[in-house]
Amino acid sequence: MDLMHHSSTFLLPTIPLHHGPSLTYALVVLNQTLPRFAPLLWKHAQLRLCADGGANRVFDEMPLLFPEEDASDVRRRYKPDVIKGDMDSIRKEVLDFYRSLGTEIIDKSHDQDTTDLHKCITYIRDFAPDVNKSSLCILVAGALGGRYDHEMGNLNVLYCFSSLRIVLLSDDSLIYLLPRTHHHEIHIQTSVEGPHCGLIPIGVPSRSSTTTGLRWNLNNTEMRFGGLISSSNIVVGEKVTVQSDTDLLWTISIKKL
Amino acid sequence: MPLLFPEEDASDVRRRYKPDVIKGDMDSIRKEVLDFYRSLGTEIIDKSHDQDTTDLHKCITYIRDFAPDVNKSSQLCILVAGALGGRYDHEMGNLNVLYCFSSLRIVLLSDDSLIYLLPRTHHHEIHIQTSVEGPHCGLIPIGVPSRSSTTTGLRWNLNNTEMRFGGLISSSNIVVGEKVTVQSDTDLLWTISIKKL
Repeated sequence: MDLMHHSSTFLLPTIPLHHGPSLTYALVVLNQTLPRFAPLLWKHAQLRLCADGGANRVFDEMPLLFPEEDASDVRRRYKPDVIKGDMDSIRKEVLDFYRSLGTEIIDKSHDQDTTDLHKCITYIRDFAPDVNKSSLCILVAGALGGRYDHEMGNLNVLYCFSSLRIVLLSDDSLIYLLPRTHHHEIHIQTSVEGPHCGLIPIGVPSRSSTTTGLRWNLNNTEMRFGGLISSSNIVVGEKVTVQSDTDLLWTISIKKL
Repeated sequence: MPLLFPEEDASDVRRRYKPDVIKGDMDSIRKEVLDFYRSLGTEIIDKSHDQDTTDLHKCITYIRDFAPDVNKSSQLCILVAGALGGRYDHEMGNLNVLYCFSSLRIVLLSDDSLIYLLPRTHHHEIHIQTSVEGPHCGLIPIGVPSRSSTTTGLRWNLNNTEMRFGGLISSSNIVVGEKVTVQSDTDLLWTISIKKL
């Protein structure tokens, strides 16, 4: 079974060149309060999309993260490449502003079968021109919190696109899928993440999972909802390994700096 | 609590909203807060030796096994504030508590949503309080895929429909009217939005 490496280098101020596989980042902003490190994610991303009301968030809240600067300057600097979705949340003034700056607007209001995040992931996977798909990692801001059915729909997107690297980020935590098809090595960026972590068998029980590098490691351990799940665990050191018979959700806390 | 009653004296509010019990591993509660409530007669149950269960799990166990004046037989419903948001592993641990105590009514609440379990052992009728909740809702098959779920009262009803993570789950659904019925071969999580009034 192949090894898959993971590292939250997108939370570092600069991405070290020698670190693991070299990834291309795309950023999707959903309609929740921007995390405080949103400018950092924006900086690392080659492609920036807003899903519908996510454009309102960038317009309203990016200037708040740069209170000493002129709001218009900040807005021009943080201009999304694409705004996509069913357009029922974005304000007209925001839409017009970004359209006038050259942002591509993709109106999918006819498609009510998929969430805005799902539409954005599909766009990045199928249409984004300059992105190297084999080394792609999609960062998503605003997928957690708010309406719980939305949060679950966003979580399901990780499982629907299990062959893509997708990271959901909030101010407090990041989460991504560890597909059962691989052994996993997670390189912990201790300056920005941890130590609180968890491994969650959402969707299907796990008959056997094994880890190293955690305070409470799993050893061919069964996990399921209604029984044991690995929450309130602690990362010990800088490397965690995971292998499992099912797709597991990895979550780790983000440090408040 | 005092912040929610800004026109009142903070001490009065605190005395009025005095918990009966404070339970957990006591690694977060401030000493001044602990002393304040202890002096008012709140029962303090220190479970710092038990690191195997979450604070919520400990509280549910206390209510189920020890709470003296509560009618456990069929009328107990445990409301939980603050189970969602924050650290995601905590949120998942709290969600798991619903599944670990599937024979108890436990409702997790945030400002935006409420969630509770619909055990597979029963057919369910959900009476929608339209003045305070809805219309956004969802049915989520956490933990185990559902081979067959059926609903009435939703914009997009299920009809012996399969649901699973990686495939279809019922999110961004809409309540139509005032009654929703659900039956399924697995435990489903019901979630509905809370109106901002």
